[in-house]
Amino acid sequence: MKKNTIIAIFPLILLAAVPLSQSMAATVQEERIDLQMRDIAKTLRCTICQNESIWESQAELAHQMREIIKERLIKGESPDQIRAYFLNRYGDYILLAPQKSGLNWLLWAGPFVLLAGGGLFLYRTLARWVVQAAEEKQEAPPPIDEHLRKRIEAELHSRED
Amino acid sequence: MIKTWHFVLVIIIAGVLSLFYKGLWGDPRAIPTVLIGTQAPIVSGPEVRTGEMISTGRFQGKVILINFWASWCLECRTEHENLLALNRRFGSNPDFVMLGINYQDREEDARQYLQVNGSNFDHVRDLKGMISIDYGVYGVPETFVIDQKGVIRYKYVGPLVGQAYSYLTESVLQPLLERRPFPSS
Amino acid sequence: MFIEIGHFAVILALVLSVVGIVSPVLGLKTNRPDWVRIGRQAVTLNFFLVSIGMAAMIYSFLTNDYSVRYVAATSNSKLPIFYKVAGLWGGHEGSLLLWVWILTAYSTLVVWMHWRTQPVTMPYLVSVQSLIMFGFLAMIVFLSNPFERIFPVPLDGKDLNPLLQDPAMVVHPPMLYLGYVGFSIPFAFAMAALFSGRLGEEWIKVTQRWTLFAWMALTTGILMGGYWAYYELGWGGYWGWDPVENASFMPWLVGTAFLHSVMVQEKRKMFKVWNLFLIIVTFSLSLIGTFLVRSGVLSSVHSFATDPGRGLYILVFLSVMLALGFGTLIVRSGKLKSQIELDSIISKESAFLFNNLFFLVAAATVFLVTLYPLLIETLKTAKVSVGPPYYNAVFMPVALGLLLMMGIGPSIAWRKASTDNLKKNFLLPTLIAVIATVAAWLIGIRTVFGMAGALTVSFVASTIFIDFAKISALWARRHEINYLLAFYQAFTNNQRRYAGIVTHIGVLVMVVGIIASTVYQVEKVVPMRIGDTMQLKEYTIRMVGLHEVSGANWTAQEGLFEVYKGEELLTVLRPQKRLYPVSQTPTTEAALYTIHLGHVFLTMPEVGSDSVTVRGLINPLILLVWIGGGIMALGVILNIFRPRMKTP
Repeated sequence: MKKNTIIAIFPLILLAAVPLSQSMAATVQEERIDLQMRDIAKTLRCTICQNESIWESQAELAHQMREIIKERLIKGESPDQIRAYFLNRYGDYILLAPQKSGLNWLLWAGPFVLLAGGGLFLYRTLARWVVQAAEEKQEAPPPIDEHLRKRIEAELHSRED
Repeated sequence: MIKTWHFVLVIIIAGVLSLFYKGLWGDPRAIPTVLIGTQAPIVSGPEVRTGEMISTGRFQGKVILINFWASWCLECRTEHENLLALNRRFGSNPDFVMLGINYQDREEDARQYLQVNGSNFDHVRDLKGMISIDYGVYGVPETFVIDQKGVIRYKYVGPLVGQAYSYLTESVLQPLLERRPFPSS
Repeated sequence: MFIEIGHFAVILALVLSVVGIVSPVLGLKTNRPDWVRIGRQAVTLNFFLVSIGMAAMIYSFLTNDYSVRYVAATSNSKLPIFYKVAGLWGGHEGSLLLWVWILTAYSTLVVWMHWRTQPVTMPYLVSVQSLIMFGFLAMIVFLSNPFERIFPVPLDGKDLNPLLQDPAMVVHPPMLYLGYVGFSIPFAFAMAALFSGRLGEEWIKVTQRWTLFAWMALTTGILMGGYWAYYELGWGGYWGWDPVENASFMPWLVGTAFLHSVMVQEKRKMFKVWNLFLIIVTFSLSLIGTFLVRSGVLSSVHSFATDPGRGLYILVFLSVMLALGFGTLIVRSGKLKSQIELDSIISKESAFLFNNLFFLVAAATVFLVTLYPLLIETLKTAKVSVGPPYYNAVFMPVALGLLLMMGIGPSIAWRKASTDNLKKNFLLPTLIAVIATVAAWLIGIRTVFGMAGALTVSFVASTIFIDFAKISALWARRHEINYLLAFYQAFTNNQRRYAGIVTHIGVLVMVVGIIASTVYQVEKVVPMRIGDTMQLKEYTIRMVGLHEVSGANWTAQEGLFEVYKGEELLTVLRPQKRLYPVSQTPTTEAALYTIHLGHVFLTMPEVGSDSVTVRGLINPLILLVWIGGGIMALGVILNIFRPRMKTP
């Protein structure tokens, strides 16, 4: 009898566990969706606000847009698809990170090109200066004797870097 | 002695200044029109006064004018009379239908607005902002014109008064209804 | 009546500024010292005249004189006194007056302090400063007059924008202007140097402390603005890459480059043209910043009312200043020949140049991005946005590069760094940096930003530590004293250098704060009713109440939230949703609980009849951002008030 009861109850327990685990899975799922929604919302501009993303904005429109992102995430759309949805309706203005295309490459690559180009230019200029300085030095009268030079260097060393 | 960096510097400064100059006359509220030429999203929702469900799916093959408005929007008041006149003129045409979309508004306020100002066409409540987001609405008032094939052909941001109104009626709606070629911009 | 006196004083100041421009130059040309002195008196008198203007405005604010249009627009009888005074810089016209007032104050100080020692440059300086004064005074008198009356007189004022009714906002604009306008002094000295042909190191030595002060004020101003945005705008961040924030950041970046590269000229007499160029750019960017805010060219949270006429005037004035600055540089710099003496590419001289490269690329990036939407609008009549996600991807790597330079620059030798010098100074820091990065990986820091941060911060920190340790050891050995005293003596002996290092430490502390609070921020937005709880990491937040409260000129819904860590009740937070009835503006007031240098941050963006929306954040170590800022400022103060260098 006892055994039977346990055997009878066991599936019941299992049955009870199903909705429980489902609801747990649901909250985990919900949190994941919320996080994804936040990441997407932070990349979209609130079109009626001044310089706020729809994540930060408290405007009603931003709130509704966040809901739309959530709905679409639940439907299984990818972040890029969702961004494309908004892009098709509001144009480039809604993207806080401009698309990597056309003139926008000026933005995406410009700073690095400047850094690399500037660095190269600087390196060459410096190298030229070093050569110039070395040439001038050769023409210049011979420097002070070794002993004095060492003393000056030691002195300089102790005074600063 | 003129050096290269002198040139570069002058060009950059001149460029920046002329950009600022241009910027002064730019309209910071100018809004790009991305949806033109694309298939119009279906609009559906309850009518503001009757609560009856309305869907643009029913209006296939007609020219549809969609106007987004709100009771709190002052500019919408200035165009309201024109909207009524518009429907008086084209409303009898079986190929034409006009729809107001009530945007970010409270139901009572919207109803009262229509009662006070009168209206001769239907208005759909945009319940969760779905319709206005589908149409990429930046603010009210905004007006869209959809052709017989369901393609968005024209969009106007701001109140339909003066030139904006006559352009809409004479250069957009009239040619569309007569199936004449429609000036692209 | 007072207002008319103030108005008249400012008109007089405008006239006098013309005298200030013309008479010193005429005096020089015709060799009449009296005329030059008239210029000085004009500048001094202008300070008093504009002060009278300021006093008249403040008087009208304090006495609620709403017949003055500006007072009626930015004040209200119920406004607390503190904010009534701040109302003066709460709008376009008044803040312009403050700008000029600071300019006249600076100019007067400079003229009286350096008149004897700088007789040759002073006349030019007076002219240049007067020209800037003229530009702004003319705008005040003709286009943006704060003294204007209105009729009929309104019963009460429209109130100061509630977002600006905040202690940080009272101090933020004056600080920012002290910075912006402060750069006019090295600028004017540089122009004077160009005009007078005295292009040696003198102007740099004279302006050093002025530049440092301006830089400190700008830094403090920017950080205060950040703190204001952090708790007043309610989204829990302190920097939004808003066009106006960028406008203050650009002169900061180039000004910082200038502060560094002048050291090379002082020590090695190199880069003369470059330094002139940098200071002209810095001040021009300050002017451009003012232009961007006021012309309505860019939309932003901070914009003052837009008006193309005003914008056009500023643009013309800006063009004149740019043409004057860069034109003179181009015409005059042909005569300049820096002695170029460089022994090696691996040297402090070139480290400074690379530092400048990074700063300028950073500034150019911000400049490009701020103007990019305008460019696109002009070229393609399209609209684009560039926001935080872009900056995180592009600006951050450049910033990290700069940070790395901060480790290398101070420790590398002048002229030529021997392999020995490199090994001694950088081998250990490199090792420590590698170990720190691995350690960061092991404790679970996996983001690129976090790991790159760990690498650079540990590298720079260890170079600084080694530097301090070495110099203390040296002095301890030499004078046979203990390390602490040795450190103190070594520090004060070369305070210029070590005060700079203190500022660098401040930067490091700030960077740690920035990285921790961005990468490890936890954020939740949930609807709550009384009795509901929300979990934020290890903190439990329980809503226990919602009631009405009111202040002098606002009413609010205040939520009560208990913050628990485990079972322990830490505090009760009271975020508010305020309404300022006069201007019908709602604001969200954040509530903060400070723990371990971080914040539990709560706001209520929306309040319904029975439920509220709560935004909860954990911002770990965020206070380090402002503590670091404080250390940076301390470094500058130590630098300005340094003792003379003694021989050891």
